[in-house]
Amino acid sequence: MTRVTESQLLRNNLSHIGRSRDHILKLNDQIGTGLKVANPSDSELSATIEKYRQTLDQLDSYANRTAGVKSFLTFQDDALSQVGELLTRAREIASQASNSTNSPETRAQMAEEVFQIRDHLVQLANSRYQGKYVWGGGASGSAVPPYVQTTDYANGTGKALERYEFDTSEVGRSVTRTVNISEGLTLDIDTPGNQVFDNALFGLERLGRSLAGYQTNPATGAPDGTGNAYTFPADYELQTTEIRAAMDMLKSAQDDDIQPQRVTLGGKLRRIETAESMLQLGKGSVQEALDKLQNADIAESASNLTQAQTVLQAALAVTSRVLNQTILDYV
Amino acid sequence: MTNYSAKILNNATGALAAQQAVIAATSNNIANVNTPGYSRRVVELQTRASTAEGSGLSIGNGVEVGRLNRLTDSFLEKLLREGAADQSSFGVQSELLKRVDALFALDGNAPTIGSTLTAFFAAADDLTADPSSIPLRQAFIERGNDLVTAIRSTYNTIASIQDEANTRIATEVDTVNSLTEQIAFLNGNIRANERTGNVAADDRDRRDVLLQKLSEKLDFNTIELADGTVQLSLSNGFVLVNGTESRELSVTNTPSFASGTIPPSLSGGVLNYVVYDYSGGNGTPAHVDLSNVIKTSGGGTIGGLLQLRGTVDANSGATTPFAADGLLVEAASRVEAIAYTLATTVNESYLGGDADPSTPLVLDTRVGDLDGNTPADNSPGDYAFSLFSYNYAGGALDADGDGFATNTDWETNGITSIASVLSFGISDPRRIAAAENSGTLIAPAFAPGDGRNMQALAALKDQSYTFAASGSSISVTGTFGDAYAEAVGFVGNQKRAIDIQYSAAKDNLLTAQNSRDEISGVSLDEEFASLIKFQKAYQASAKMMQVADTLLDQIVGLI
Repeated sequence: MTRVTESQLLRNNLSHIGRSRDHILKLNDQIGTGLKVANPSDSELSATIEKYRQTLDQLDSYANRTAGVKSFLTFQDDALSQVGELLTRAREIASQASNSTNSPETRAQMAEEVFQIRDHLVQLANSRYQGKYVWGGGASGSAVPPYVQTTDYANGTGKALERYEFDTSEVGRSVTRTVNISEGLTLDIDTPGNQVFDNALFGLERLGRSLAGYQTNPATGAPDGTGNAYTFPADYELQTTEIRAAMDMLKSAQDDDIQPQRVTLGGKLRRIETAESMLQLGKGSVQEALDKLQNADIAESASNLTQAQTVLQAALAVTSRVLNQTILDYV
Repeated sequence: MTNYSAKILNNATGALAAQQAVIAATSNNIANVNTPGYSRRVVELQTRASTAEGSGLSIGNGVEVGRLNRLTDSFLEKLLREGAADQSSFGVQSELLKRVDALFALDGNAPTIGSTLTAFFAAADDLTADPSSIPLRQAFIERGNDLVTAIRSTYNTIASIQDEANTRIATEVDTVNSLTEQIAFLNGNIRANERTGNVAADDRDRRDVLLQKLSEKLDFNTIELADGTVQLSLSNGFVLVNGTESRELSVTNTPSFASGTIPPSLSGGVLNYVVYDYSGGNGTPAHVDLSNVIKTSGGGTIGGLLQLRGTVDANSGATTPFAADGLLVEAASRVEAIAYTLATTVNESYLGGDADPSTPLVLDTRVGDLDGNTPADNSPGDYAFSLFSYNYAGGALDADGDGFATNTDWETNGITSIASVLSFGISDPRRIAAAENSGTLIAPAFAPGDGRNMQALAALKDQSYTFAASGSSISVTGTFGDAYAEAVGFVGNQKRAIDIQYSAAKDNLLTAQNSRDEISGVSLDEEFASLIKFQKAYQASAKMMQVADTLLDQIVGLI
């Protein structure tokens, strides 16, 4: 016969009650926090959970960054679309001016509009996004804009005396910025301005100057400040040729610089959008895996809690009954 | 004619005394029903030696008290001690590890090394998109500070838990000394009392309680000798108590067996050694190290604390705290390895990848010169340009003057772990070197809008390194994220393993206590049944006396 003493009963019952309460505490925590794994020791997969959490944080940081980059690239695309319109307008003027029915005086009047287009284009090339020059390269944050005005033409008056050139006095003008968009995908998000605007700007200056009545340098195609005033009517044909040359230059600037730039921007925006949807997908699947490993099933925990409470009540009832029974009641 | 009346009277008085003795023992059992360590006692009755009567009949001389039986089972007592040893060992480890576990929490409420690492590299990535943005630069500095704060507080908390374990070992050793002294004293009492053939039941109960308490402190073996004394020894045979003599253990951080400097603890202090001094405190100490023996047995709070805290060979010549074993050291060395890699490899990448002091530093330092200051040169004080530096009150951070605050500097400055003092070296957002050199080697130039250095820094998050703390045998290969996740897994699994053993030890102890109570515990039912039984026997004996009296009266009446 096994001897059972009162202290054994008490000890066992207390141990059952203790275990029951411990279980309830755990379920309570799970329901309160929504997590079944709050500390590493709660799961044998805690290292995996930590990696998932890092991945999620990482994906979130990518998502935050792509939003900013997208808006930056869209801004560039909008500006370049305006540049395209300006160049089309300038080519219309050139085409009209090259017509031999126009007198040198009419052509000189047209020059005014071309110089305005040029100034507008420079404004666009010097545009700022969040206070920094978009096409400023590594010097985007400096006070000097990417295109600066010089007045070094030997001849010419008014607007024809000025020209704009890409600043190289600031350090890092040719540096582009590369940003991590998502795992393994990096994008150049800016282009130094000279690669985008130089040809267009030279074309406009050349067109403006020849319309205004000054020679440009047909050999290099860029105004170099050496031009002299045309002598009319002897140079009328030369002027027409140079207007046509400027027109060709504008066409090639539009086709070879501005348009490809816009195509590239469009491509980058699409890659970002693809990356974003991949990030979203990745986030979804990682979140799902993490949910499975770390999150408590509240419904299950709640029903377990009810069950655990019933067990505790039973344990308490049994304890009080068993311990109340003594031989003294019968002696 | 034989006079039976006298015999009846005699038997009745003997019986009265005997039943009373049993009832007295029952009363003592009932009184001690809740006394810890009490073993129930049973009075054994026996017939009194009889002599043949004149008639040749041997009617018997009644009953007498034979001996007092103390119901115990030495095997169960041993099981109980083993259960208690395991429970206290795993209990104290579980309690202290719980705090380490919380440092690596996965609930996302408090910043951890893992979350701050990701945020730090993400801030570097953010800065690449707009390198000259002061708010983004400020954010980068703040994420850097978050990271070093998380590393420092994680490491320093583990170090303080190790210190706490170290101090607790000292107080527990005091308790052990007081227990062994009392056990030796009781040994003496028991030997003296049992010489007469009695059972020194009370002293034995008390000694069992003390042995039980001692087993909660450390593992030991017992041998009960013929004279009733117990001899206690550690697993290597070192005798703790022999007869009435007990040996006093002590803790020291200057053990006589150490030939050189003892390796430091995680906090830069010294780990105590549990020793016995053979010199008896006279003259030069002659210590014998018992730490390893107690740790290897692993039982009791001291065993558990030693396993958690770790021990280190005093003669290993190690100079870092990571040469020691122990779960806390293993956890801390993982944190140290991350801090160490940040302060060396990441710093070097940030500063230009070449930390060779023979090359003029100006040639390979990538410092953004936003504020117009001269870029870093070879003068001491350029440590401020390091991304990860360290807090040090004792003087120059760049102790060897090579322009970098590096591991040789903190070693020269006597700092044993970089994780405990790691700081973020940059507080002025304009001094972050986001750019690469756009100029020449001779005339370096850095563009404020250039984020290539930051991009290279951000790419380090995917770089694989071998993470190892100096002096530690633990090494993890992978990215920063992997190294931290491995630490999380390590801490979690160790805590789980200890919790499982703790819960098993609790069950074992419960079973052992129940088994002991089955033999030695007082059952009130049983005591009451015996009380009734012996009360009736007492009443019957009293009645016998009355009958004998009547019989004698009859005889006297005849006269």
